[in-house]
Amino acid sequence: MENFLIGIQALLSIKSLLAILAGVTWGTIGGIIPGINATIAMALLLPFTWGMEPQVAVMMLGGVYCGGEYGGSIPAILIGTPGTNAAAATVFDGYEMHKKGETGLALYLSLYSSVFGGLFGAVCLMLMAIPLAGIALAFGPAEYFLLALVGLTLICSLGENNILKGIWAGLFGILLSFIGFDPFAGTPRFTFGILDLTSGLEMVALMMGLFAVSEVLRQAQNFDINDKYKFDKKNDTSMPKLSVFKKFLSVNIIASVIGVIVGAMPGAGATVASFLSYSYFKRSSKNPDSFGKGNPVGVAAPEAANNAVTGGAMVPLLALGIPGSNSTAIMLGALIIHNVNPGPMLFVDHPEIPYGIFSSLFVANIMMIFVGIVCIKCAVKITAISKPALFACIVTLVFTGSYAFNSVHFDVLVAFLCGIAGYFMRRMNLPHAATVLGFVLGYIMEANLRRALILTRGSYLKVFLNSPITVALTVIAVISVLWPLVGPLRRSMKVQKTY
Amino acid sequence: MKKFAALFILAIALSASIGFGTSEAAAWPSARTTLVWHSAAGSGGDIMLRSLAKFIESKTNFPVIVENVTGASGANGWNYVARSKPDGRTVLGVSSTFIASPLQNNIPVNYTNFDPVARLFIDPICIYVGGNSTYKTLGEFFEDAKKRPGELTLTGGTAGNVEFVAARGLLREVGVDVPIVPFEGGSEGVVAVIGGHVTAGVGEYAEMASSVEGGKVRVLAVFNKISNLDVPTIEELGYKTKVEKFRGIVVPKSTPQEIRDAMFKVLKEAMENPDFKTYYTNNNMIPAFADGNEFYKMMERQNEEVKASLGGSL
Repeated sequence: MENFLIGIQALLSIKSLLAILAGVTWGTIGGIIPGINATIAMALLLPFTWGMEPQVAVMMLGGVYCGGEYGGSIPAILIGTPGTNAAAATVFDGYEMHKKGETGLALYLSLYSSVFGGLFGAVCLMLMAIPLAGIALAFGPAEYFLLALVGLTLICSLGENNILKGIWAGLFGILLSFIGFDPFAGTPRFTFGILDLTSGLEMVALMMGLFAVSEVLRQAQNFDINDKYKFDKKNDTSMPKLSVFKKFLSVNIIASVIGVIVGAMPGAGATVASFLSYSYFKRSSKNPDSFGKGNPVGVAAPEAANNAVTGGAMVPLLALGIPGSNSTAIMLGALIIHNVNPGPMLFVDHPEIPYGIFSSLFVANIMMIFVGIVCIKCAVKITAISKPALFACIVTLVFTGSYAFNSVHFDVLVAFLCGIAGYFMRRMNLPHAATVLGFVLGYIMEANLRRALILTRGSYLKVFLNSPITVALTVIAVISVLWPLVGPLRRSMKVQKTY
Repeated sequence: MKKFAALFILAIALSASIGFGTSEAAAWPSARTTLVWHSAAGSGGDIMLRSLAKFIESKTNFPVIVENVTGASGANGWNYVARSKPDGRTVLGVSSTFIASPLQNNIPVNYTNFDPVARLFIDPICIYVGGNSTYKTLGEFFEDAKKRPGELTLTGGTAGNVEFVAARGLLREVGVDVPIVPFEGGSEGVVAVIGGHVTAGVGEYAEMASSVEGGKVRVLAVFNKISNLDVPTIEELGYKTKVEKFRGIVVPKSTPQEIRDAMFKVLKEAMENPDFKTYYTNNNMIPAFADGNEFYKMMERQNEEVKASLGGSL
């Protein structure tokens, strides 16, 4: 309790509050810009934090982290381009809602869910850092493999009526994830002698190509020259009544739990969390076909999850002194440069820092409501831009963004080629979302399966029966695969009965 | 427009500094200097360069900037410096990745394309188990491993890096069958050992220092002597396997000897600077200052060791 007071004391200075506000604002803006995710936004800010006291520096970075995880959803909804990788799952339904004219609901629901997830994550971090660290430790290679497998079963249902198409697209994504460095042989694979491929395809470039470039190409093809100066006036961009959000409370709670747990696991992260959350709700819905066609739950679920990750991701850093993600690695860097050693001893030596982080996450999420509203009000102006101008802007943003991420020219080429591939996938009704999912989870799945097989000395059976967690995950995976088969079967049986 | 103005001023400043720079050859830095790091901002080597830049900047009026030139497994950053003018204004920070990655990825640029300036540190490597493991000494671990061949496991970071090379070398020397499980980077391996999924690990001490303090990790032996840690070294235990995970500074090939000497002097001063000292002692880096020749010989040796370890089956 005393320590909380120290944390609040550290927080209640104009300097700290301003730092958090600046952090949230910068993070949100960074999140909105494709190519700048929370990690990059934090890294860009890092040099400016050196003149600050360490607790102010981490508070500011905490603000950037929260803002960045939220901001990505705004372009995901408005232009169908995820601003951050973790917002990719928001595109599926968010962009469809925007197309249907429910822009306001999508944007504010995403803000509400993000704030909810963020606050939920902060509470969990504060009350349960130690048990959460325990969950993270219980996940070994076999458990990670099966978790990724459960997430991958979603590809079966992404192909809408054609399960095989979803599987093909997903396998293509997994295949792309093989390109690069083989962590077991220590050598490059599938790089065809191209040096730029040795670090693998950049996820940011791949996603922007598949989502944004292909969408622009498709729309440009169907574009009627007479529409050129007609603005989309029918979009409702106003803020919905607060009571509307009430029915998403249970979705947000479950999604946040998923986010916190996945966040606490080193090496998983916000992108995995948002996809797992999305797939959970799509799977458990009474009407799974409404997902991907503008179901608001498809926005609330990934957004609450990827913001709840912020709280969870601090768990390994504070409880074990080990950064579990790139974002927390940057926080670690900020502490190190101030000669503060993180880890369990931090609570004894510098209690103002961990408790400062706890309290700053609360304040950051509350500030995010206001920053978010201002950003939304500015961003919706995009709907008043004529289509040709908008397309040009999107393409510019995508290519500058894919370059800016690593300052590597090759990534621009990746975005371009993925855009072409995505365009043809759309024409063939192959779900590009499944490719993204395969790419995100493929590597996690492969690396952990190979690790698990070394540990079980080559026994696949032992991998699946490694622990109660793996057994449970295996059962979930099997049900998930069979569900899309059972559903249509049941429906067709019902149809037959009526005859 | 603003950018052009800035570039113009920069160009004038540079040309002015060239004029002054040649008249007093022994001063470094004599102009705006860039320290290049091949990986992202916030990574270990990046932070070292930034702390170093802080000190160098305090000694001169010229800005010292850390630039992260990432991608292509390090090749972009290394190529960038290798192709820079050898005038002491573009400097490369290197670690053991500088040896391992060119070999693993067939990168056409490696340590032979640079002139060494100095080695600064060695990142101590240790062999560790979880805090509640039954093994109290390295001897107990190996004894059990001999009794139960293939049943204990060891993690050694990413395949092909120096920790991995050390882990494999030591296991071969002792002659025990302990499968090595590669993990992405060191910290995931530490979590797997704490979580009991892997029996033991070989990794950078800095990555687990706080877990050691908190009792979650027990260090059985170290490859490089850590002064404030009461644990025997591998050498003291009678094993021959050696590993030195270095950090150092190199410059493009055919940089004039005077510039390199001046640089060497500044780096030597940095090692004694109280702020820089706090940084590196807090981060458990072993100061291992050595001149260019010694540094180069060490890189040559490590190059052979890594080369020998690659290509074998796991």
